[in-house]
Amino acid sequence: MIRGLVAVVLLFTVAACANSGAPSSATPSFATPSFTTPSSATPSSVAAPSASGALTRGVLLPASPPTRLTIPALDVSVPVTDLGLAPDGTMEVPGDARTVGWFTGAPTPGSLGPAILAGHVDYGGSAGTFARLTDLDQGDPIRVTRTDGLVATFAVTKVARFPKARFPTGEVYGPIDHAGLRLITCGGAFDRDAGHYVDNVVVFATLQSGE
Amino acid sequence: MKFRVFVALVTGAVLVGLAAPGTAMAAESVHVSLTEFNNSGARGTAVLTALDNGDLRVSIRSSRLVPDAPHAQHLHGSVEGMDFHCPVAAADTDGDGYISTEEGVPDYGDIFVSLTTAGDISRASGLAVDRMPVADQSGTLTYDRTIPAAELPAGTVAHLKDLHVVQHGIDANGNGKYDLSALGESTIAAAAGLAGIPQEATHPALCGMVAGASAGSVPVGGVATGDGSTRTDPGRLVTTLPAAMLILLLATLLITRRRKFVLPR
Repeated sequence: MIRGLVAVVLLFTVAACANSGAPSSATPSFATPSFTTPSSATPSSVAAPSASGALTRGVLLPASPPTRLTIPALDVSVPVTDLGLAPDGTMEVPGDARTVGWFTGAPTPGSLGPAILAGHVDYGGSAGTFARLTDLDQGDPIRVTRTDGLVATFAVTKVARFPKARFPTGEVYGPIDHAGLRLITCGGAFDRDAGHYVDNVVVFATLQSGE
Repeated sequence: MKFRVFVALVTGAVLVGLAAPGTAMAAESVHVSLTEFNNSGARGTAVLTALDNGDLRVSIRSSRLVPDAPHAQHLHGSVEGMDFHCPVAAADTDGDGYISTEEGVPDYGDIFVSLTTAGDISRASGLAVDRMPVADQSGTLTYDRTIPAAELPAGTVAHLKDLHVVQHGIDANGNGKYDLSALGESTIAAAAGLAGIPQEATHPALCGMVAGASAGSVPVGGVATGDGSTRTDPGRLVTTLPAAMLILLLATLLITRRRKFVLPR
């Protein structure tokens, strides 16, 4: 009987550990040791200017604000709202777990430069649209529908996690020679005292086509 | 596919209907590389930033220009979707070895905005050298001006990437100044009724090509995209509850199987 009890306790312990370590639908899988920075395949050196002398590379669409974000690999298809700057200079965030916001202080998705979309990893007790952002792999498609009716299709180039205290502002918001996309959410440990996650997860992507 | 396009269109239409008119224009910075023209030997960069309020901030840094001389500068092009570009050697239609302002216009378009240091910015100020920036004694030119939205031609901000920054003023005979003895009188100035202006002063020295773009306003620090609400105890209970039930099941099995072992004895 005692042996049975020990077995039960042991089983419980093992199960609990496995559970907290395994990815659930509600928690992003940062706890798994396999999460490093996968495929740091930043677009390599700037391509030589084309025959026309253009200093930019790749497909470029005219400016048009986004209306919807679709990420097939994550079963995500959500409306996009506008985000500005909060009075303290930080980026505004969506008011619910589902909606994803486009930062209007940066280019529109598909046009030259980095377009910024932010979404919650969790909010108000629900898993956010970007809860599983770190599951994305290099090459996964991300589609953004725009007000002009065009759908800009991006491919993931890099998934990275940065401490908020050392957020790589230049890499995320700085000048680039192509149409890029950055999906931003939270990650890492949750600081209960400060009431926020310690890290930001950023998915970098490059425009493949627009039609 | 057709259905998806339809859904996208309907969604787009609904969102457009909900959005206040005139909102959601990106505030962005267009980074322009200023490249040498007419063997001027000059170089530079320009950053055109569309601000939240619709104003346009223009910052230009050029070097190796004719020192202590004014350099007329403009945004050339149009907002009508024309495919303008910086001229190549073939633009020199009269074959004198220089691409004049007139010869460049078919390539980079007419003056759209005159980048003066003060006052009017219209095409009419294109040759207003008294309001154009002056390069310092080492040939470095620094220009910063925020042009109010109300003064900008319609469509400027939306078509920043279609416009070309052009800076004028070369020193063809290498004597450190603009003079009539080098290339004679400016044909474009003469056509505008201004006599005695050297051709050197109006020949283009630099033409801008869009090299990149960035956020127009950069947020402070990280982004607060999560409240940790799925990391609280209720969240853990949800994930541990099935595990607990599984353990109970296993424990029951263990105990019943033990009895089976006991019975035959």
